[in-house]
Amino acid sequence: MSDVIRIRDLAWRAGKEFAIRDLSMTVPSGAIYGFLGPNGSGKTTTIRLMLGMLTPADGTIEVLGHAVPKFAHRALARIGYVPERLHLYQSLTVDESIRYHRAFFPGFDDAEAERLRRHFSLREDQPIGRLSKGESGKLMMMLALAQRPELLVLDEPTDGLDPVIRREVLSALVEYVEVQKATVFISSHLVHEQERICDWVGVMDGGRMVAELPMQEFRSGIKRLRVANAPGTMDAAPFALLSREALNPQLDEWVVRGWQPEMREWFGRSGAEVRDVYDLDLEDSFVELLRGARATTIANGAN
Amino acid sequence: MFTDIDPRSPTPIYAQIADRLRLAVASGELKAGTSLPSVRALAARLRVNPATVVQAYRELERDSMVEMRQGAGTFVADVGAETKAHERTAAIKRFVRQMLTEASRLGISPADLRAALGRETSSSESL
Repeated sequence: MSDVIRIRDLAWRAGKEFAIRDLSMTVPSGAIYGFLGPNGSGKTTTIRLMLGMLTPADGTIEVLGHAVPKFAHRALARIGYVPERLHLYQSLTVDESIRYHRAFFPGFDDAEAERLRRHFSLREDQPIGRLSKGESGKLMMMLALAQRPELLVLDEPTDGLDPVIRREVLSALVEYVEVQKATVFISSHLVHEQERICDWVGVMDGGRMVAELPMQEFRSGIKRLRVANAPGTMDAAPFALLSREALNPQLDEWVVRGWQPEMREWFGRSGAEVRDVYDLDLEDSFVELLRGARATTIANGAN
Repeated sequence: MFTDIDPRSPTPIYAQIADRLRLAVASGELKAGTSLPSVRALAARLRVNPATVVQAYRELERDSMVEMRQGAGTFVADVGAETKAHERTAAIKRFVRQMLTEASRLGISPADLRAALGRETSSSESL
């Protein structure tokens, strides 16, 4: 089996305002897949659909080879899930939470849980209700990793944590992935963090998947160009134009996707010239991609 | 050694790791036979994808800078003086190119840059 998550033509609707539309997603085995999108773009809803917590109106979902939601329980036994918010009983202690959680997962590794508990400096008798945000984050990650899952689904696991704790949590995750060859699906706003560890990127906006591609392609394909005497029309352009802006009457700034150095020639044909090509980091690429996607949506009269 | 790994740089992370190691081998900071951190340890320390570290090590192995021994780890190879000199030159070139790109973005001309570089290096040599 080469894909751990396969979603095709997924649709889901809550009232008139919000919907997931035509969503397809492929997470290859062994990938660390970064799921990006602004607030309210449908990331958490997609995760809940993926785990069988919501029922789709249309489309298919397959996780670890099991059809979801019908066989979600089979998939869930092999998934470590870290939700957005703490999902543990406030009145239990750290140790009681570990024992409670363990009861649901036959493969739960006690020794690993103990090692991580010490590594994360969590006291056994600490009440859950009195854990700091950072301690809760570490506890949730610890429980998910000690399950020895084949797939980790992390919904903003480190957002809101301080940098020291973020590093600890991410290091533990990276180590686990290397040892167990697990697949990771990680949703976050922390773009620079994603940039370090992810090798695949999926970008959502307004309930749609705007782009899904390997990180390296995402990073290298989106460029900002300075174009002199830029053409007014886009006849047979070999790249996708995400945005254009006139800096002065002679000079335009374009953001393009799918850029290759040979494409300078296309500008030459209309008497234009590419003066400079700038690289964008993941955050800039992400922002430009959303700008481009929204402009297209409006142009097509959709929504 | 890897404090300057920058995920926002246009240079891919694996290339940054490989470049840093090349320079360390070329400068003698890493001697022949030294073992490099395991993929797991380095990935965890840098919080990067383990595949990125593997990619960096593979590239160095292809260039005969390191040897990957099955089950034992990755070791610095015995690199000749000529290769070391070549690697040092390449590292300096990368550094200068980066500086030139940055300068042109800031609107600093190559002539101004050369003049400033001359002044700064002579004043730091007289220290």
